[in-house]
Amino acid sequence: MSDFSIPALIRGETIEGDWVSFETRGQGPKFQATNAHNLVGQLPLGSPAAMADLQEITFDEILDVLEALGQALDFETNAHIREAYAAGLAASNYPASLLKNSYATLPLAFARGTVREIAEQRLGIAYLEGWVEQTLADGRQLRLRAFGSRALHIPAGNGGLVSAISIIRNAITRSDAIIKAPSNDPLTALAIGRTLAEVAPGHPLTRHLSVAYWRGGDTQLEEKLFRPEHLEKIIAWGGFASVKHITRYLQPGLELIALDPKRSATIIGPEAFIDEATMQEVARRAACDIGVANQEACASARVIHVLCGTDAEGLARADQLGEAIYSAMQALPASLSSKPKTFDRELRDHLHSCRLMEDWYRVIGGEDDEGAVIVSRIDEPVDFASILSGRVANIVPVDSLEQITRGINAYTQTVGIYPESLKLALRDQLPLFGAQRLTSLGYACHITSAMPQDAIEPLRRMCKWIVDEVCDPDIVPPMWRS
Amino acid sequence: MSNDDTLDLFMNDPMAFFENSITRMHQIPRPELEEKQRQAAARRFAEHRESITILRQLADKEGITEVRSFNDLPPLFFAHTAFKSYPAALLDRKRFDLMTQWLDKLTSHDLSGVDTEGCDSIDEWIDRLDEQTPLEVITSSGTTGTLSLIPKDKHGATYTMKLWRMFLFQTFGKEPTEEDLHPEVEVIWPNFASGKLGHLRMAAMIKREFTGGDESKFHALYSDAISTDLMFLASKLRAAASRGELDRVEIDPALLERKEEFEAMQLRRPQEMSEFFQRVSEELRGKRVFMTSAYSLMFELAEAGLARGLRNVFAPNSAILTGGGTKGMVLPENYMEVIQEFLGVDEIQEGYGMSEISAFHWACREGRYHVQPWVIPFVLDPDTSEPLSRSGRQTGRAAFYDFFNRSHWGGIISGDEITIDWDAPCPCGLASVPIEHDIIRYSEKEGVEDDRITCAATQQVNDAAIDFMREFES
Repeated sequence: MSDFSIPALIRGETIEGDWVSFETRGQGPKFQATNAHNLVGQLPLGSPAAMADLQEITFDEILDVLEALGQALDFETNAHIREAYAAGLAASNYPASLLKNSYATLPLAFARGTVREIAEQRLGIAYLEGWVEQTLADGRQLRLRAFGSRALHIPAGNGGLVSAISIIRNAITRSDAIIKAPSNDPLTALAIGRTLAEVAPGHPLTRHLSVAYWRGGDTQLEEKLFRPEHLEKIIAWGGFASVKHITRYLQPGLELIALDPKRSATIIGPEAFIDEATMQEVARRAACDIGVANQEACASARVIHVLCGTDAEGLARADQLGEAIYSAMQALPASLSSKPKTFDRELRDHLHSCRLMEDWYRVIGGEDDEGAVIVSRIDEPVDFASILSGRVANIVPVDSLEQITRGINAYTQTVGIYPESLKLALRDQLPLFGAQRLTSLGYACHITSAMPQDAIEPLRRMCKWIVDEVCDPDIVPPMWRS
Repeated sequence: MSNDDTLDLFMNDPMAFFENSITRMHQIPRPELEEKQRQAAARRFAEHRESITILRQLADKEGITEVRSFNDLPPLFFAHTAFKSYPAALLDRKRFDLMTQWLDKLTSHDLSGVDTEGCDSIDEWIDRLDEQTPLEVITSSGTTGTLSLIPKDKHGATYTMKLWRMFLFQTFGKEPTEEDLHPEVEVIWPNFASGKLGHLRMAAMIKREFTGGDESKFHALYSDAISTDLMFLASKLRAAASRGELDRVEIDPALLERKEEFEAMQLRRPQEMSEFFQRVSEELRGKRVFMTSAYSLMFELAEAGLARGLRNVFAPNSAILTGGGTKGMVLPENYMEVIQEFLGVDEIQEGYGMSEISAFHWACREGRYHVQPWVIPFVLDPDTSEPLSRSGRQTGRAAFYDFFNRSHWGGIISGDEITIDWDAPCPCGLASVPIEHDIIRYSEKEGVEDDRITCAATQQVNDAAIDFMREFES
């Protein structure tokens, strides 16, 4: 008996039946999906010429369709979304309150203003709408235009928003998307795609969106589909193993845009301890960075470096801050954060052992798997920092900034910093070590798509940047006359 | 003998209590055994509550002042993480004084007088503990940039080997003969000659117990020791690689100075393997031997031997012991047949144990591991760690209380899934609790990266660290 079914969507048409069963590991759900092996012929665009219809619509029309789509994605009335929510609840680690909240934000994600800002800030709408002229020093005239590409998206399954972002980026860039549904968010991309087909039947945006499920790493299927004659780009989110796996298909003509595994860091300056009110404010902000989305996001705070010193006074401050962060985290509203549904067994064992090692650690909370703050009594993160999850953070007291840069590397996405002056002092250094986004403490998980991601510009990379050159022999000296 | 003396013998000298008979050890009726176990657990807990700091802290936190029944024990069990709960930075910074303080809280022995002045490596620190205290610390190696350190002692190690000899050479159901009690064997050790890793520590103990001190009867595959400091580097490298931080790894200059020594070790290996097989085919052919190693190592050795045209090399009544699970190694289905073809022995014995407790549970002819009488087994709910009922057939997370352990607390929650049928007697006829043969690590079951480097992977891991040193220098 399956817990839910994942039909496929091909260019506006929902395809059900031809079910294949899938079992997930451990306590995970059983589900069935329309056999993608039998759809490999239909998923890619038959001919690149079929992209032409996307060039004929205006950007305003794209905004119209997306806005209407967003309004139709209302959680209360949209049956597809309700179904996606139920499946997400069974398949992911998110409690109901959090998951519901992520669907509630969908209409805003597709709103005119949001989409226009992304397009204008990241690409420049003029480049999408037509040819933009530039004149170079030698006199030649360039006309540049951003064309869409045929792309395969492998979104992450943490919440429904990643699927939504993939669909929005596909529409903005006038691309053709095949979305491989993630097993821990199996139906959101499909729900948005089906709603789009209802809101704009036959529209070019509808005709350039397909969704299917197969087990990631199914080489038999992927070898047929992941080829330059079908695709130009693969946009892959996700874990180390899955991104690494995809690299085997790369070849000239097929490019990978990797939004690979990321961790995030937090740095708090001594100013946090100026007075009690400031410390409480800092604690609330840090709690937000840890707790939002139950620490499942790559931007979530885990190791928190505090420049409070490692002498007795410094350790006492670290403890105080730890207590305050723990309390603030427990007070977060259920729509943002709540007790995790499951808790990592290995991490629970580590917490258990840390509690008994009072010389080295102080563990605040965590007895009931509700989340915890571990305060190190040495200027080093816990040795199990890489498995911190389920709202467990580690406060590390340090004497100098040098000890912090050791923990920043190419896998570091967001660094939440307090106060702003410290961020200013660090912003030219941290990127050298790998940090990709510096933000005000408390805003780590408060993310917009109108900015670069993971130190790259995914929207620009999704486009093909085409040049039309005009060279007048009277202006640009021709080689044949030399 | 008073009741008190009987209990003392039962918990501290089970060989004497059971008159050196493995049959008696496993024929004692369950109710009688459990009553003795309950008394022994209560007494050992009372002792250890006084002498082991972190047990006392845990007991205080849980509000447990005495052990009255089996189910009082699980809240007091340690996870394997307890033995690596020190900050790994202490090893990097060579703060062996603080490491000793940490270890002191885990053991019943007093380490306050240990002199770590000038100690420059992990191996040297452990050697000093060997010299200055009753301890014989073993390490196991992790992938998270740290090592587990388990404070075993010399007394326990020696006693354990005597127990091994009993189980290796006696037959269940038969009273031991003189020959069973004093067997003469050559020891085949298909591994590195020494080291501080749990299984390598055993080499010295086996040498002591099985050759009567005659070194010429001990035949190691490789003559060298595995360096604990090199293993620590290997563990750090794996952790750093998973975090994208290989560019930040710093190698201790003292270790780097030994690079040529390590490289020479690597180069010696093929030659030593040839010599080993030559010795097996000439000097040791047809002799009665004792050999032990993990399944995968034994399989590799058998394949290498068969490729050299060697088969049926030892006497049929040799004692061969294997175990350790197949831990992520891909072995062909007929691996036991391949091993048997090479060795030419009648029987290969299997056992189940773990570094964190001393007891080793031997498999009967039905392939079930019979729990030793000084160990109280538990099957726990894998999510809540609550003990499941001690009746019917139960599958869950294995936990054990080994009250024979004296140097450290013997209560441990493992990472293994086991099945015990509490009510059905084992068809082999023994009265003791049987653990079904198929045991799997939860991490393996769930497909997550295990936090352990298995015994079998020691060599590869060691080589990876040497390769890194080579690149680091150039």
